[in-house]
Amino acid sequence: MSSKNIIEIEGLHKSYSNHKALDNINLSIGESKIFGLLGPNGAGKTTLIRIINQILEPDQGVIKFAGELLSRKHIHSIGYLPEERGLYKKMKVGEQVLYLAQLKGLSKKDAKHKLSYWFEKLGAETWWNKKVEDLSKGMAQKIQFITTVLHEPKVLILDEPLSGLDPVNSLLIKNEILELKKNNTSIILSTHDMNSVEEICEEVAIINHSKKILQGSINEIKKNYEEKLWTILYSGNQMNFTNAVWGGWELMNHIVLNENINKAEIKLLNDFTINKFIKGIVDHVEILEINKKTPSINDVFIKATTDE
Amino acid sequence: MSKIGLIISREYLTRVKKKTFILMSFLGPLLIFGFVLLTSYLSQENKEKYEILVVDESHLFDSILRNSDKYHLQWAPNGKDYNEVQEIFKKDDQLDLLVYLPVNLIKTNSMTAKCLYKEIPSTGVQKHLSSIINEAIELYRVNFNNIDISTYKSIKTKINLDVVDIENKENRNIQRKAFVGIALALFIYGFIFLYSVQVMRGVIEEKTNRIVEVIISSVSSFELMMAKIIGVGLVGITQFIIWAIVTMIMSITIFPLLIIDKFDPSLQMNSEELVNNSFKIDPNNEAIQFIINEVQWSYLIVFFILFFLGGYLLYSGLMAAIGAAVDEEADTQQFLLPLTIPMVFAILMASKVIDDPSSSLAFWLSEIPFTSPIIMIVRIAMGIGDSSVEIWEIILSLFLLTITFIGTTWLSGRIYRKGILSYGKKASYSDLFKWLKN
Repeated sequence: MSSKNIIEIEGLHKSYSNHKALDNINLSIGESKIFGLLGPNGAGKTTLIRIINQILEPDQGVIKFAGELLSRKHIHSIGYLPEERGLYKKMKVGEQVLYLAQLKGLSKKDAKHKLSYWFEKLGAETWWNKKVEDLSKGMAQKIQFITTVLHEPKVLILDEPLSGLDPVNSLLIKNEILELKKNNTSIILSTHDMNSVEEICEEVAIINHSKKILQGSINEIKKNYEEKLWTILYSGNQMNFTNAVWGGWELMNHIVLNENINKAEIKLLNDFTINKFIKGIVDHVEILEINKKTPSINDVFIKATTDE
Repeated sequence: MSKIGLIISREYLTRVKKKTFILMSFLGPLLIFGFVLLTSYLSQENKEKYEILVVDESHLFDSILRNSDKYHLQWAPNGKDYNEVQEIFKKDDQLDLLVYLPVNLIKTNSMTAKCLYKEIPSTGVQKHLSSIINEAIELYRVNFNNIDISTYKSIKTKINLDVVDIENKENRNIQRKAFVGIALALFIYGFIFLYSVQVMRGVIEEKTNRIVEVIISSVSSFELMMAKIIGVGLVGITQFIIWAIVTMIMSITIFPLLIIDKFDPSLQMNSEELVNNSFKIDPNNEAIQFIINEVQWSYLIVFFILFFLGGYLLYSGLMAAIGAAVDEEADTQQFLLPLTIPMVFAILMASKVIDDPSSSLAFWLSEIPFTSPIIMIVRIAMGIGDSSVEIWEIILSLFLLTITFIGTTWLSGRIYRKGILSYGKKASYSDLFKWLKN
């Protein structure tokens, strides 16, 4: 077992009375990495998160936390931000954050000290005596984020941490996540926001129909889903372009940008290479730009979950 | 502080710090006093003076019917019969009542006097009228039989029947004491519902905003449920203690000032019934004497707290399970009904228990845990001993209540554990059974 993994999951099964929630899940989550846990609604992500949080027990399988079997003593090493806004609406912000910090094992004094740091950092100093119901959604989310990270957990599980945030606050939280990672926190990010996955995650796993269907680094996964697609911007006649090379490729899309400029999207078949294709067309049209098209995580997600 | 202690203190402090709690702590006793005052006030005659027209067919009453400023009697004009006088009464707005004394009234025992009204007179007025008529008839007969009035007064007695248990002389007037028991039973009923519903609401709140997932990653779901039940229960006890203290202070200070001459019309009526006014009791003092001296407050309060706690623990566990099973409060109705039925049934049965506190109905209702907190406090208020309830019955009842609440709390814990993590689907009874089994 690699010592670089903070969480190792082997052969995890969980069933509810009427359906299987997790079916033989194997996952390893690297230390100080941002790990994207992806999957359609109802795929089993929440069950997996609950098992890591020890809210639920698995029917079968093993979870190791920093090389040890996961147990109650690891509770304080995990911070969890649930998807919905998990705060008491009628309670004052200050009382609430102190309460949640103490539940996570911090002393009142420590908690106060750390809270003043975080409140200042996220610009929440004046909110201490406000009731949660008087905060805006973004403000409440910041408070919730603070309660999650305050006890400096080794592993952070964030369920849709950016949903409903305006671009400024979204960027703020994203930067905090990146900074936490820099300080050796491992982060599990469960989200449907593929742009942020692409921006901040290093590794992802996709769960679909209670099974893990793929896992790997973002680049690896994209490479696996690459379909040898290229976009070519050229000047010249479309007929000349399409008839220049016979066989070995397919025209996926063609757009006339203006009277003489065209954009073509081609897919290379089998062993046909881009060099051969360029050689074929170079005498017929003028190549202005040529780019390899890599799939986005969104493309990968859709392909992976619909191909199942 | 341990995590469970932390949760208990949050549940407790957030509730007792609420403005509504502080307001209710002082408003509660005031409302109760207000209610008592209002009912006694409403049952009082609220007129200062009654003009009463009397039709005396025998012409024997005019010298002996006691007249007073408040109940001012005036005699119907001679030569007018009863029907004609009724017309006069109807037309004259000054007149409040018409009393008809038939010709044979004074001579026989079988006749009935009549009182006609425009606005119905209070029972106090009615009692006064019948007492002055009785008094007049007696006086007539005393004179008619040549009996010396002082001799008659010495013969005439008015006794009170003191109903006392032979085994325990302290047990007296138990039916009267039962009213204290009914009041306490209503409090237990109200408190159990008020606070167990708070537990249910708290569970729903935590479930809908999903903070429950954060908390049960730190403590077990059963610990969270128990901490919530204990925290809210302590709020109930705090409220009760504040009410008791405020009530005591008010009883000693404000209450006697407010209610002088007004409290307890039944006692006033008793005094009205006396033939003469030589023996007049201050009604206030007797009522207060009864409440202070005859009601055994010390053990009543102890048992009140014990049965409130037992009932509360029993019902709040079940309420927590209901809260966990639903996504919003509107969905709780179907589950609440089976819980309210036994309590309402107990309240309805309380009067039967007062009629015969040692009957087998009283015994079973005070032993079955779902009704015992209410019925047992009524029986205890009527006195411990053969006449109402034996000490072993109380111990057995508390024991059964404890066993049952441990059982239901365990079952509720199983439903709670599954329920709080299940969203979006309206739980049915079959879901609850499924959760129980797993």
